[in-house]
Amino acid sequence: MKLHATYTNESSKNEELLRVKDLKVWFPIKSGVIQRTIGYVKAVDGITFNVLKGETLGIVGESGSGKTTLGKSILKLVKPTSGEIYFEGINIVKARRSEMKMVRRRIQMIFQDPYASLDPRQTVSSILFEAMKIHGIVKSKTEAIERAIKLLEIVGLSEEHLYRFPHELSGGQRQRIAIARALAVNPIFLVLDEPTSFLDVSVQASVLNLLKDLQRQLGLTYMFITHNLAVVHHMSDRVAVMYLGKIVEIADKDSIFRDPKHPYTFQLMEAIPLPDPEVKKERVLLEGDVPSPMNVPSGCRFHPRCRYATQRCREVEPQLGVRSNGLVACHYEIDFSSDKIVGEVVV
Amino acid sequence: MDKKQGEHQPILEIKNLKLNFHTYLGEVKALNGVNLKLYPEEVLALVGESGCGKSVTALAIIGLLPENAHITEGEILFKGENLLKKSKEEMRKFRMTECAIVFQDPATYLNPVLKMETQLKEVILLHKEDLKRAVIAEEKGEKIGYEEFLAMKNVVDKQNKNYKVSQKKINEMAEKLILDILKLVKLPDPQRILKSYPHELSGGMKQRTMIAMALARRPSLFLADEITTALDVTIQAQILYLLKELRKKIATSTLMITHDLSVAAEIADRIAVMYAGNVVEVGPTRAIFKEPFHPYTQMLLKAIPNIRNPTTRLESIPGTVPEMINPPPGCRFNPRCSFAMDVCRKDKPELKEVKMGHEVACHLYE
Repeated sequence: MKLHATYTNESSKNEELLRVKDLKVWFPIKSGVIQRTIGYVKAVDGITFNVLKGETLGIVGESGSGKTTLGKSILKLVKPTSGEIYFEGINIVKARRSEMKMVRRRIQMIFQDPYASLDPRQTVSSILFEAMKIHGIVKSKTEAIERAIKLLEIVGLSEEHLYRFPHELSGGQRQRIAIARALAVNPIFLVLDEPTSFLDVSVQASVLNLLKDLQRQLGLTYMFITHNLAVVHHMSDRVAVMYLGKIVEIADKDSIFRDPKHPYTFQLMEAIPLPDPEVKKERVLLEGDVPSPMNVPSGCRFHPRCRYATQRCREVEPQLGVRSNGLVACHYEIDFSSDKIVGEVVV
Repeated sequence: MDKKQGEHQPILEIKNLKLNFHTYLGEVKALNGVNLKLYPEEVLALVGESGCGKSVTALAIIGLLPENAHITEGEILFKGENLLKKSKEEMRKFRMTECAIVFQDPATYLNPVLKMETQLKEVILLHKEDLKRAVIAEEKGEKIGYEEFLAMKNVVDKQNKNYKVSQKKINEMAEKLILDILKLVKLPDPQRILKSYPHELSGGMKQRTMIAMALARRPSLFLADEITTALDVTIQAQILYLLKELRKKIATSTLMITHDLSVAAEIADRIAVMYAGNVVEVGPTRAIFKEPFHPYTQMLLKAIPNIRNPTTRLESIPGTVPEMINPPPGCRFNPRCSFAMDVCRKDKPELKEVKMGHEVACHLYE
């Protein structure tokens, strides 16, 4: 049985699949008896990027940087405040219910916690059938069972798991069920929100391998959201680094990890613990915490923690601009090895 | 204990510790003969996947096991004394002065309705006698800081016994000492932090105060149970750096429990790898990473993505962690091990020294 009707990996490279333009997701803070809005949590505050067919775009950032909100807003699980999200010619932000149903067949999401994302009272079979039924993928019960078994095999489980309840499965197996459920409707784009952070290392490895295999076999496109930099390095083709609701740098994986341009990206890379006791780095540690997205610092959001910050950074917010190998939102060109500002971006 | 002697004499020794949990499904054999030695002033990382028994080991040491746990065999020797034979009151004293623990999620261990000041003070005020002495010494014109206060830990002086000190003075002294301790963990603006409730602080700040509380009495044994797991990478790096710095200042023996081999590589002198209730390998950090002996350690190291040394495919360990109610006989790793022999299914391998200071529990090395 064919699971996929469209798209092969090779012919579609470099074609744009998803385009996000100046997306903002603000959550109102309400207070008082009449619940007046006294401010906003700017979880996502003006983000522009695109995802190409067949690639994996990694989204990294610390907690509170807005990466999960970004992922959810692509499926309109949270309502964007403004901006545009184009997917196959449809603007998701403005899409009607019927259009959204179609979009959600094409885009599926996998969540972090497989203990929370599966209904404990549903068996694996009914979890899988439900998805197929809603989207009218199968016509008869026998077809549904056939397809469910096929899906289980694809994610490395077998027919015996079909009538089990989630509590009878391990964390890794549950996450595989969540993947199978997402694949049940033939999506072409998966938003993966920390799919392995609940899993142990040995299990994480097998789930990551499975995701890579599925991508190759089915020609899927991934948006991989995680805080784990080693995982994002392993999985992604391109990486976007988020800080306080903004993308500070977006480039291909090797440039981000080997030659970061934004001081935050650099600090993030420095902070990664390496599974190698031989490497003893003399670290320049990033001080302080991520500020609250309720009151965002003026100018560049990173300036209170940035060692290179100048008056311009405190006043003017830098925009994403083209550098040698990607887009960077910083006023300055910094040479991290000599710890000096070597150039300024003139607008 | 002088240092030379200390190098050979472990401060903590766990011998053949077996522990079961009563559950309605049956006995969960959580620890299956754990052997572990912690030497003075070292950092030993206890590494393993969830459910392997690393946290239970820590709870057994500090005597905070849940009620359905019971120890069937073995002993935990701290400075030569068996902790399992101690009474509840003795264990309380032990936790008060000798041993401290910090857990994974600081948000759940701090009281949300009390200000940080109240919570930190509580720890110090337990040592009322020491505080009293500190106040008297200060009145005599001595300068009292955190260091001096700690020096009073085991001093017994009879002449001050009848000297009355007001509660207010003791409170003031406690406040002063708390500030010193907060400075020790590099918290910015400690005055403000003392007046805050836990929810007003970030995760990293909370974890720093937890560490401050734990180290307030300079325990000789520090148990750190996944203390960086709930934190972001940049904050994790800060906390690890802080621990490294504190090591130089405070000579504490640390048992660092983590599931993250990279964190262990950063901070530990030695690493002990646990699998399904057993310590399967112990050795110096470098040796564990360079030349792992146990098949489980070897596979675990290949399963983590490494930025410095990327591979296209990770090696995953086939199968899952065994069910602990009916664990496989013999070596508990045998169903997942590609080298499993007949003897592995029958006899449990014991830890044996294969190289200098590098022990492994595997029949392959016999």
